[in-house]
Amino acid sequence: MSDFLIHVASIACIYGMLALSLNLQMGFTGLVNFGLIALFGCGIYGAALAHVMGWPLIAGLAAALVMAGLLGLFFARLGRRLSSDYWGIATLSIAEVIRITVMNESWTGGAQGISGLTLLFGDLRPWDGLARLGLFALALFATYLLCEKLVRSRFGLAMKLMREEPQLARALGHDINGIRARVMLISAAIAAVAGVLYAHYLTFVGPDQLVSADTFLIWSMVIVGGIANNRGVVVGAVLMQFAMAFVPFAKDLLGLPTDFVAAARLILVGGGILLFLLLKPQGLLPERVGAGK
Amino acid sequence: MSGTAETLLEVRNLSRHFGAHQVLGDVSFDLRRGEILGLLGPNGSGKSTVLNIVSGFLAANGGSIGLNGRPIVNAGPENVTAAGLVRTFQLPSMPRRMTVREVVQAGDATTATLASATRPLRFDNEVDELIAAFNLGPVAGLPASSLSGGQKKLLSVAVALRCRPRILCLDEPTAGVHPNLRAEMVRILRRYNAEGVAMLVVEHDMLFIRDLCHRCVVLDRGEIIADCAPASLEDNPRVVEAYLGKAVEKGKLAS
Repeated sequence: MSDFLIHVASIACIYGMLALSLNLQMGFTGLVNFGLIALFGCGIYGAALAHVMGWPLIAGLAAALVMAGLLGLFFARLGRRLSSDYWGIATLSIAEVIRITVMNESWTGGAQGISGLTLLFGDLRPWDGLARLGLFALALFATYLLCEKLVRSRFGLAMKLMREEPQLARALGHDINGIRARVMLISAAIAAVAGVLYAHYLTFVGPDQLVSADTFLIWSMVIVGGIANNRGVVVGAVLMQFAMAFVPFAKDLLGLPTDFVAAARLILVGGGILLFLLLKPQGLLPERVGAGK
Repeated sequence: MSGTAETLLEVRNLSRHFGAHQVLGDVSFDLRRGEILGLLGPNGSGKSTVLNIVSGFLAANGGSIGLNGRPIVNAGPENVTAAGLVRTFQLPSMPRRMTVREVVQAGDATTATLASATRPLRFDNEVDELIAAFNLGPVAGLPASSLSGGQKKLLSVAVALRCRPRILCLDEPTAGVHPNLRAEMVRILRRYNAEGVAMLVVEHDMLFIRDLCHRCVVLDRGEIIADCAPASLEDNPRVVEAYLGKAVEKGKLAS
């Protein structure tokens, strides 16, 4: 059981980083990104590419950051011409195009994916699980600090002004294309790091890890935890991840068929989003207005 | 009307059409240093279009705009603001999840760089000075969207001044504002004008125009029909016919 808890907590840390990344975009800058999973995908496939080429882990991280940075800039570039709702649809479509391409190309391992990546701290057995959890928790904490620094600065005020009154922001001389590009680069880097850690934890990379349902899982974490509250979205990530992990136990307890697990997870995500948007749209920990002194 | 050393903003032969509809024909005017210029005209005469083009929010089909001798036509609003011209909006919409103080601080785009994230957020002294000058002290910690319509107008002018503009363009600064607040607005704008901020004011309130403006340009159907002191507007038969209305007799505005 403790191994299981360590596993769930490890995954929660990685999803916490993704929730922080989405929060920077959607929560603070108003960038409604439905293609976040593709940025994460750059991370996992960066790691896989390095594995196939026989490069060290650090080269995989570099490849992941470069790919995610380019994709993030491409997303940002599209945002110049599209209003936020159309941009959201465009990001979702691009993420799907990338997933389908990855599934059908041979150099990505196709539908079988790529396996055999090095397990982080694999030689520390039996303490490797804890060591990984420690590393992931550290990465999550560092990401949290970075996000807090960003949003509690003058740049953060510009992000918030752009989120709510883009026309006013432009009139006051803010370069909203520049802000969008910077925010996309930073959040793409966070998602890429999360992806590399994830790939070297599961030791397997495949197109199933790029499904858009996972983007919406991250959305649910942000909405449940509290849009534009960094602490809130980490809480949301932990709650949602644990809820996901305990669905199989509920199935056993109630004696339900195996199909129940996947369906119940989708219901948890959709239901969580719907319930909070209707009843508590500010989430468990609401944004603190005027917290910056 | 040729540009001189006194000219700060030089608008020449501006034209704009929306489809087949010609909104601006051939508009030329100057704004001199330290001047407050009123831009008047009936609804649909092209005032807002002029303001949108001058502030970089709308492209012109023809013509040129020089700010201090530098061309700014079609430069985009952020570049126009960086060059020293900033505008307000007729219906100032303010953020729901930012305080008044944060909005005024965010008015300074030049220091809102990524590097600012390495330092804790500090508000400039100028923020509190502006908040005090516009009597927004009691509401400084409230969400900006919670202000009344009149207070939002004051806030939008305060935020615009935060950009330290050479030219402030105001789009109907007193529409829907209580007369007491209007007098307050005149007092505040005069003060900043005395400090060297030139202004271009789109407004329908003739009393406000007479109190504030040094000169007026009147637009009608995309053409300039008058360029004179506010006091002589009612002597101009074209202005009376197109804008003030035939019922306005000479001397009536003064009362």
